[in-house]
Amino acid sequence: MIEFWEVVHRSETGELMEERKYDRLLGQKAKEIVNRYQIKYNPEQVIPSDDALADRIFEAALDLFIEIGMYNADTGRVMKFSKKEVLESLETAVDHIVWGEGRDQKVMFPRRPEDSRPVFCNFTLVGTPYPEELFLKACISTAQEPLANCFSGPSLLHTLGGIEVRSGSPMEVEAAIWDIGQRREAARRAGFPGKGIYTMVSTAEKADAMIAAARPEFGALARDGMLNGAIAELKVDNDRMKKAVFLRRTSYTSGGLYGPLMGGYAGGPEGTCLILIAHHFLGRLAFGTEYSVCFPVDIHQVCNTTRQMLWLVSRSHQALARNTHLLHFANTFIAAGPCTEMACYELTAHGITAAVSGANLSPAASARNKYPERCTGMEGRICAEAAHSATRMGLTRSEANRIVKEILLKYEKDIPNAPIGKKFSECYDLEKVKPSKEYVELHERTKEEVKKTGFVYAF
Amino acid sequence: MSNILEAMAQSVIDGDQEVACRLAKEGIGKGIDPVLAIEEGYAKGMETIGTSFEAGDCFLPEVLLAEEAMTAAIEILKPKIEERMTKKASKGKIVIGTIQGDVHDIGKNIVKLFLGVAGYEMIDLGRDVPVRAFVETAKKQRPDIIMVSALMTTTMVYMPELIKQLEELGIRDQFKVIVGGAPVIPEWAKEIGADGYGKNTKEAVEVALKLLQTQKS
Repeated sequence: MIEFWEVVHRSETGELMEERKYDRLLGQKAKEIVNRYQIKYNPEQVIPSDDALADRIFEAALDLFIEIGMYNADTGRVMKFSKKEVLESLETAVDHIVWGEGRDQKVMFPRRPEDSRPVFCNFTLVGTPYPEELFLKACISTAQEPLANCFSGPSLLHTLGGIEVRSGSPMEVEAAIWDIGQRREAARRAGFPGKGIYTMVSTAEKADAMIAAARPEFGALARDGMLNGAIAELKVDNDRMKKAVFLRRTSYTSGGLYGPLMGGYAGGPEGTCLILIAHHFLGRLAFGTEYSVCFPVDIHQVCNTTRQMLWLVSRSHQALARNTHLLHFANTFIAAGPCTEMACYELTAHGITAAVSGANLSPAASARNKYPERCTGMEGRICAEAAHSATRMGLTRSEANRIVKEILLKYEKDIPNAPIGKKFSECYDLEKVKPSKEYVELHERTKEEVKKTGFVYAF
Repeated sequence: MSNILEAMAQSVIDGDQEVACRLAKEGIGKGIDPVLAIEEGYAKGMETIGTSFEAGDCFLPEVLLAEEAMTAAIEILKPKIEERMTKKASKGKIVIGTIQGDVHDIGKNIVKLFLGVAGYEMIDLGRDVPVRAFVETAKKQRPDIIMVSALMTTTMVYMPELIKQLEELGIRDQFKVIVGGAPVIPEWAKEIGADGYGKNTKEAVEVALKLLQTQKS
């Protein structure tokens, strides 16, 4: 088993390479390996059922990672690993996480494709910008949802107590400490004081600020999570690896955050699928991850609910679920904003896809994760209801493929011009922190439409 | 002549550096104006690739290959351009970078790529660029435009700081400032006093071109 410090050593002694050259090599290798393994996106098989192909994709991702390695952007060096080292790192990963404490404690297990066990759901606002005065209520909107096994919150829109929060400044540390406190307070107010937090801070980027916030007196529970993102396709840097050192010595849960861009350096859906899987090897080796959050997005549409992206989501999670016991969340990114019919369909399609493909679920970023206050807990509810219903009805991948394709017809042509929807304050009663009647009724109406495909809602 | 220009364009579309270079040499042999070869040949190919990329019909690796083919061909044509004293002046100079604290730079790299092949001189400061580095580079390099991207709410707040520093130094009116990146929205860009905003890479390129044209006219 490769030691973490050996990984650090390789990041300081591996082959020196210009970053630009590494980026190009990555695209070339991905293309070459996609051809080698004959992996081909099929728009009619949005949720494919071919197990052999899922396994080939996993093998292809392994080849890719072994041949290209990962890049440390600070040292400009490539770290390479043997197949044995990668497989050992996967074998030694945890096979479950106990999130939260007391009666709010929830256990996350790895799932398999067509698994009848419920999907473990994290409700998140994926860093959508919120001003200080709405921050707590936004957190409550996710924490209060009964289907949220754990939860997370938004990002802070610029100021705290009138002082601007800048990355790398002292105020970033202050904001990070405030952020975890708001999240824990939201859980308390929602009546789930021990609910797990899957990422303690979204208001900070730097390792020092995140580490400073991770203390029980600020609101962190023993197994609350801290995310460590790859900075771009198969790249890490020293700031992120610093967090890994801290996480190795504490009880907090180490998460990997992977968002390769489909259409970017890795090429099309096939190459990006391999890169997404390869990021899990990076995460195990460089960060010691215990869970992962996968948010591949289309480089132009900034969502993962297009036909190509759903294929990528399904294929990558099936490959991981069949070949590892890793704990992986599919992170829903939709084009439309809250309280729109289109958002309801996108969330439903993604929820079903993730559920039958062996993923756990982390909904959702709305309105392309761009507009302030345009992401709420209600999107998580819509997505999770679909995912739970898919497992309850024992949906096969083949049947899910038919249903999701019917749902896709309702929205895919509108993706380039998706409506940004309503702000939190426009689709929630802010006093009670409850979704508006309009939003709830819209959800029920779209459920009726989805039922016409033969999909059965459990509740 | 149109055949060879079409072939030049096609070599870029195919990302075929070898063919692009062979055609550049052939063009010189046949006495084709090198500026014409670039503008009506290779650049047309790049334009086609750019349109395909935006439509999702091709991906970044193909764009990078096309750019490499075009750059290699231009290197061959360069001495001839200089010989004829028709050296084409750069269409404009742009300083570009991802702002302080932010390491996410793929969008910035794509914008740089397209503006570079369109004939603009690009000074790429990279990622996590301190505000002061933007200011110092602008003072030294005298660009037409400063383009800044950010992916985080905690890093985008350095954008107004950049504009403020340019104002304090009394040099704000010497440069156009364009901002972009995931959390940046047009209202905010306007509020901080930016001259332009791109909601995506395509729009960022278009806005830069428009601002440069306005400036020149």
